[in-house]
Amino acid sequence: MLAPSFILLFALTLYPLIFAVRNAFFYWNLQTSPTPQMFVGLDNFKNAFTFTPFMASLRNTLLIAFIGIIIEITIGMFIALALSAKMPYLTFVRALLIMPTTIAPIIVGFMFRYMYWDVTGLIPWIAKTLHIPEPGAGYLGSTGTALPAILLADIWQWTPFFAIVLYAAIVSVDSEMIEAARVDGAGGIRVVWSIILPTIKPVMVVIVLLQFMKLFNIFDLVYVLTRGGPGDSTMTLSYSLFQQGLVNFNIGVAAAMTIMIVAILNILVFIYTKFVMKGAKLS
Amino acid sequence: MRKNTTQKIGIYFFLVCTLILFLGPIVWIFALSIRPPESAFQYPPTLIFKPTLDAFHHVFVSPGIQLRQLFNSIIISLGAVVINLPLSFLAAYALSRFPIKRKGLIMGWYLGLLMAPPVVFLIPYFILMNNIGLSGTHLSIILVLQLITIPFSVWLLKSFIDDIPLEIEEAAQIDGAGTWKILRSITFPLCGPGIIVTTMFAFVFAWNNAIFPIVLSVQKTATIQIGAFSYFGASGVQWSVIGAIAVAAMVVPMVIFLVLDKFVVRGLTFGSVKG
Repeated sequence: MLAPSFILLFALTLYPLIFAVRNAFFYWNLQTSPTPQMFVGLDNFKNAFTFTPFMASLRNTLLIAFIGIIIEITIGMFIALALSAKMPYLTFVRALLIMPTTIAPIIVGFMFRYMYWDVTGLIPWIAKTLHIPEPGAGYLGSTGTALPAILLADIWQWTPFFAIVLYAAIVSVDSEMIEAARVDGAGGIRVVWSIILPTIKPVMVVIVLLQFMKLFNIFDLVYVLTRGGPGDSTMTLSYSLFQQGLVNFNIGVAAAMTIMIVAILNILVFIYTKFVMKGAKLS
Repeated sequence: MRKNTTQKIGIYFFLVCTLILFLGPIVWIFALSIRPPESAFQYPPTLIFKPTLDAFHHVFVSPGIQLRQLFNSIIISLGAVVINLPLSFLAAYALSRFPIKRKGLIMGWYLGLLMAPPVVFLIPYFILMNNIGLSGTHLSIILVLQLITIPFSVWLLKSFIDDIPLEIEEAAQIDGAGTWKILRSITFPLCGPGIIVTTMFAFVFAWNNAIFPIVLSVQKTATIQIGAFSYFGASGVQWSVIGAIAVAAMVVPMVIFLVLDKFVVRGLTFGSVKG
């Protein structure tokens, strides 16, 4: 019964795997040849570091992933706690709050491109009103602000996701335990720290992993907002892989990058499951 | 937790600010879609203008380039869930009920596919689709989408099947029903809500995907998600039209999420958190 889906997925994954492992050792530019052109040993790996912004991409990707996760889970937690106060209308707020998360990331990209627009964009206008100096080439065109600008769009989209999942976890915390702690004189911060956080830890561990991967693979926002620029300041691993493989058609270098990206991803997941997920069980 | 009035006001104030921040941009895009073009260039930005449906008319009626893209999005997303559902249901049932060796590894592999960077798959598939003559078809996108719809659906469906008590199936087994009969007449109907929820989420997954059509589609199979790119012309950006396309693309998942409100947490966490 498992077989049909298993075989389809196996075939669908095996092909790219073999493709990457084989072509990583060949010179192959798709524009000049439909098949691999020359065995080059490890040159593609070397070229990935010298001719593509691999290190800058890795740095930007990790920055986006780590900073994104920290901000999204922190704000999400505050919203979740506010939602869990037993007051009227809050279920209505919760139902509306999910909206950003439902939108396609590429559409979020278009929305923010409009809002960052330096002529009459909402964000430059608000910043100007608050007397925050605008960078010379606009928020998306300046080296210092382009990466935070992409990150902001992602935070806008995914913070509600954290808020709503954490809220679901908080409501399921035993309210008698909280009452008992209250009677013993525990304050709000103390209750959150010693009762709520430990109880919802398994949920947090799962959603942090899921979201980390989403951030690590970030592509759509970069594609709409900056295309990796200005310079390499918003290059991410997914985007520079796309550029090598599907814009420049350097299939060999792209295959080498694929192997390195998958290896990095596996190491990160291994470390996470080994040290963070130890106790928690997924599924 | 009992709250005094000041605390209550504080919480409401915080949540109202939250809603403004998270819904404001959506309202802003809806406003953009009904803005007359000259209003998009007005400074400072304003919400006061004479609403018009010109942008929607341009996009879907005359010349209506995006109408075809809307159909493409529907064909591709529907096609993806139609292929995906039978395969995922059988796999989820087997993973939920049978003592399969290395079950954890299989589930982990399925999850790994969901979390892998899609570009990694897309380069080889772009070349493969060219070689086997499928490039530029809806089918090429539908097939490659299975890489994410199947793992997602297996995870979510398994969580629903896990919830059905084993006793019912065992009773049927004692009465002499075979595996297929149990599956057809007991598990499948009992799992109805789970199947509907999973299908709808898988549809949204396919609908919201942009990178597959960016790489695999041609002009006649392009989806609504990537339709706005043609309006960033050298002669200026047609913002109202882009707004109309964005609104058309985002209304569908919004409605589905509102309908599935009770299952949103479960769907977004692939069934691993039951909200």
